[in-house]
Amino acid sequence: MSNFFPRWANWLPLQLLVCGLVIGGPITLGIWYYFTPKYTRVGYQPDQPVPFSHALHVKQLGMDCRYCHSFVEVAGHSNLPSTQTCINCHGQGKILPNSPRLAPVRDSWQSGQPIPWVQIHRLPDYAYFNHAVHVNRGVSCYSCHGAVNEMSVVYEAESLSMKWCLDCHRAPENFLRPPSEIFNMNWHPASPEAQRELGTKFKEEWKVNPPVSCGGCHH
Amino acid sequence: MKKIFQHPARDAKPTLWRTQGERENSPEFAESLAREFSTDATAIDGKGSGLSRRDFTKLMGAATALTGIGLTGCRRPEAHLVPFTKSAEWTIPGKYLYYASSMPTPVGAVPLTVTTTDGRPTKIEGNPLHPASNGATDVFAQASILGLYDPNRAKEITRNSAKASRADLDAFIAQIRSAAVTNGGGGLAILVGKENSPTVERLRAEIASQFPKLLWVQDEAIPGNHAVFDALLGAGVRPVYDFEKADVILSLGSDFLNPSESGLGFAKGFAKRRDPKGKMNRLYVVENHFSLTGGMADHRLRVRASEIGDFTATLAKAIGAKLSNSSLSGHAAAYSSSGNSFDPAWIKGVAEDLIAAKGNGIVIAGSAQTDAVQALALGINDALGNLGSTVNSVQTSAKPSASLADLSKAIGAGSVKTLLILEGNPVLTAPAELNFANLLAGVPETLHLAQFADETSKVTHWHVPAAHYLERWGDARSIDGTICPVQPMILPLWNGISSLEILAALAGEKVDGPSVVRATFASLGKDGSTVSDSAWNEFLRNGFASGTAWPVSKPALNASAATSAVQSAPKISKDFEVVFLRSSSVDDGRYSGNSWLQETPDFVTKLVWDNAALVSPADARMLGIKDGDWLKLSAGGQSIEAAAMVAPGHVDKSISIALGYGRKGISHVMENVGFDAYPLRDSAKHCFRSGVTVKPLAKDSYTFVRSQDYQNMEGRNLAREGTLATFQKSPEFASEMDGELPKPTSIYPNPPLTSDLQWGLSYDLNSCIGCNACLVACQAENNIPIVGKDQIRRGRDMAWIRIDRWFSSADHKEENLEMIPMAIMCQQCESAPCEAVCPANATVHNEEGLNLMAYNRCIGTRYCANNCPWKVRRFNWFDYNERPLDELYYGPLAHKGMAESLKLSKNPNVTVRMRGVMEKCTFCIQRIEEAKISRSVKAGASDVTKTPLPAFKTACQQACPSESIVFGNINDPKSAVSEAKADPRTYSSLAYLNTRPRVTYMARIRNPNPAMPGADLVGAANRSAEQAQHS
Repeated sequence: MSNFFPRWANWLPLQLLVCGLVIGGPITLGIWYYFTPKYTRVGYQPDQPVPFSHALHVKQLGMDCRYCHSFVEVAGHSNLPSTQTCINCHGQGKILPNSPRLAPVRDSWQSGQPIPWVQIHRLPDYAYFNHAVHVNRGVSCYSCHGAVNEMSVVYEAESLSMKWCLDCHRAPENFLRPPSEIFNMNWHPASPEAQRELGTKFKEEWKVNPPVSCGGCHH
Repeated sequence: MKKIFQHPARDAKPTLWRTQGERENSPEFAESLAREFSTDATAIDGKGSGLSRRDFTKLMGAATALTGIGLTGCRRPEAHLVPFTKSAEWTIPGKYLYYASSMPTPVGAVPLTVTTTDGRPTKIEGNPLHPASNGATDVFAQASILGLYDPNRAKEITRNSAKASRADLDAFIAQIRSAAVTNGGGGLAILVGKENSPTVERLRAEIASQFPKLLWVQDEAIPGNHAVFDALLGAGVRPVYDFEKADVILSLGSDFLNPSESGLGFAKGFAKRRDPKGKMNRLYVVENHFSLTGGMADHRLRVRASEIGDFTATLAKAIGAKLSNSSLSGHAAAYSSSGNSFDPAWIKGVAEDLIAAKGNGIVIAGSAQTDAVQALALGINDALGNLGSTVNSVQTSAKPSASLADLSKAIGAGSVKTLLILEGNPVLTAPAELNFANLLAGVPETLHLAQFADETSKVTHWHVPAAHYLERWGDARSIDGTICPVQPMILPLWNGISSLEILAALAGEKVDGPSVVRATFASLGKDGSTVSDSAWNEFLRNGFASGTAWPVSKPALNASAATSAVQSAPKISKDFEVVFLRSSSVDDGRYSGNSWLQETPDFVTKLVWDNAALVSPADARMLGIKDGDWLKLSAGGQSIEAAAMVAPGHVDKSISIALGYGRKGISHVMENVGFDAYPLRDSAKHCFRSGVTVKPLAKDSYTFVRSQDYQNMEGRNLAREGTLATFQKSPEFASEMDGELPKPTSIYPNPPLTSDLQWGLSYDLNSCIGCNACLVACQAENNIPIVGKDQIRRGRDMAWIRIDRWFSSADHKEENLEMIPMAIMCQQCESAPCEAVCPANATVHNEEGLNLMAYNRCIGTRYCANNCPWKVRRFNWFDYNERPLDELYYGPLAHKGMAESLKLSKNPNVTVRMRGVMEKCTFCIQRIEEAKISRSVKAGASDVTKTPLPAFKTACQQACPSESIVFGNINDPKSAVSEAKADPRTYSSLAYLNTRPRVTYMARIRNPNPAMPGADLVGAANRSAEQAQHS
């Protein structure tokens, strides 16, 4: 029987393996890192029509989240404030009535055209999220939105991926807070152990049982 | 070990069947069984042949290679959030608001609760506070959401086909008014439909007092209450029936159980008395074609619609003789019979049963039956002492108006100079002999207010787009006379104008929001002028003004009027008759533009996107025709051509055809849909026309599409029924039919059902009338797209609820045919066959016993649908939401995108599914989740299990007029669903498959009268199964 394959073919499997590793490896790793919400979403910080600073309003002035996001405790959406809410403080004869940075707010108030805020935290259309049930059951704004009180321009702090949701839905004790501290952005547990102890207590007392089957969010 | 199911043997001659093919066991039917899905359901291209799956894969591969794996679309699109500028009162973004309103119909307003989402109405429910609704709705109310957002609605005011402005219209109305002020309204005529609106009545009186020469015309295509009652009972007096009290009911061609025909109350009252544990009523139906009511009958007699007069007279004679009631005998004797004879045993049986139930019976005649039948029916009720007990009367506020014939005469005489047609479509619906389109052309100024630029708009000078009832203020009386508000839920989408605005402008009243309606409301108050804000607000909040129902009293039958009405009976020809039906999908044609309704199968024929000339099987043989063959029907110089369909249970020498189809050139939804039967009607507007010549035409067969020609169940006794006697002997007869079931074994791990909430649904076949309300409610709630006639022909319908209509006849004869409607939705099996075969884990179970469907996970293998024994899974073969239905096969060349207005109609809590995704009934999981969320929110920082779950219903349950569907937590022994499931009639369909469905059915019970001919054949649909069980 003649030699069907030439000698160099003996090296072919090894060459293919090395080539595969050299080319395929970085592609895999690249997709692994760059194509996940952790990379694509976290840090998304678009320019807003009004340079509103949460750091100023919340951290320095001490305003509560619910002054502007007024329906977060009763509705699925956490509403954006109407222009009227801004004008409550920034109207004529009040704070910074003529600041050029507030011109879009005054224009909106006069023309009746809403301010087109750019959406940052965005779930796919097939995922349903309800703010009210979270903030009423011990999940703080901080857990999903990060330290908004430190942000002069808001950015996305967490990936909002399904795995990220499920991490909490499967083990809510790692995040549950005392009801009084939900809107307190400066409250932090003493230690992870202290959080787990407190969280476990709340979970058992309130019978917190978040859905982990598809139908809880996808319908 | 392979599990082998002992399927019940298929009966070669089944007693229970859905299609004519199944009944006759035709070769086509055998083939369809072997295929499981219809021939074209799995074909890829439009023609059903040619491009195979393999070719398709090749093409797709080539296309992908050519395009390259582009990453263009990877940039994150920028989305905006736009809050209000000024906060709107009561509005919380994302929270539903509920408003009480009502939908005006000629029968009476349907009291409603309208759900609005961020300012747009998205769902219609019945008003649970209103006594005439009890929270239920009919199919038309459910579909009216689409009617509002229909992108084909008229959008512009036109004058002589040129665009005109609102100011032009206002100037025109002002000019009419100023002319009328000078000449007292001479030459002015107003044509309205029957809307039962107190404000219209008030404005009419106002206008009539200002302009005494005005001609006020009222016309309905299908007349509701018969004018003969004015003579029989007194001006404006109408009979009302109390079905909750009735032990024995005889329907003379009346489809009183159809909510669109008679309101919602009758079905509910009737259903209350169908429980075999209580005192069950008995229903006799005499009719020419199968109606919903005929399907519920304990005894049904096929009689031609034109001969129902003869039948009634024969019965009246028999009852008159038995009771020695000279008055009734007198009426009966006044009837000049056409010489038809009826089974004397049938007449005797009914007569004796009605006499035995003296004072607790009802004889009800069809609303479009002749004066003679109405008079005789009231005469029989009078003789039986039913008047004042089960049959009462109300003094309505209806004022006599001129008829369309009067208007035609006036136009012919040249005395009408200006004609305002405020809704309605007389050019389509007027009897052909009036030649109304030509008459209209002779009127110098004509205006038509309508939601579509329709047949009438084409011949009038002005066309004005009408506001939908969800866009305007108004009021309307419900069937019992109670006044309900009509509230605008949204500003007119396309500048629609209401008829009230035009009438008020004519009357010289200022229109400012609800001012016109409020003025009417004030005038109804006791002091006559003022009405407090709180009373008005309560009226709007509750959706009705309590205490405004017409008082019910005992009717007094005017004997001489009755005799003359009986004498007026028309002469009946022995030739064919044509019977005009109110369509279960488009009513009289007013809903032709609504594609949800076009795709809703007919109650009985299950025909979609068409009507048909229904002929009896014997006539079809005699004429030598089969389904789809053309017939020419001619009478009185008029003729129509229509394709015929064989209708089991239809009487011979009679052809039934639904009205409102065959319209051309208005919107693409109405194009190529059915046949127009209006030209055959004469001015009498009876439900039939006698003496019609029928001629088969040698034309290519027409393709009818029915939603029952596929997905056969091989006679496995899904629908089960028995008689009252069977039930009393062995209450659990239905579940006993299954025999011994295999031991529960499953190789798949079933999920632990750990939650305290376990959902289940019970469906009562005994009270379900098959009215389709659940089907359309489901469509509206769950964003279900429509797919078009061609797709349904391929077995690709999307409706999550399929209402199977079974025919049964224990002796295989036409005379003893029965009907059973049965809704099949996802059975939510605890051991679901679909879950085991899904390769993507897209359909899984949750701890509450729900069979979930995660659309975003579905990759479209369709394994689940193949493995579903009930065939209730629906696949999105195309992007039905995004692509026009006539461009489905254009691929990427088809127009993309949903009409803006249709986007507003979607339920925001339900995903809009795209191509390649499987879907099915979810038990309205969005409502379940919403209830659970509000329970958790309420519980807050406390034990959630101690907080009660707020009450909620599934969309189908909420819409059901007969309360046949009960949904709830089966873990709670006190819940309504647990109680329903404990009923001995409960059985699981396909129980032998051991999938443990969470949907259970309650068998239908019939209550035959042993003295009737064929009584032993009633309620025997499952006879062959029962016999097999006992042998």
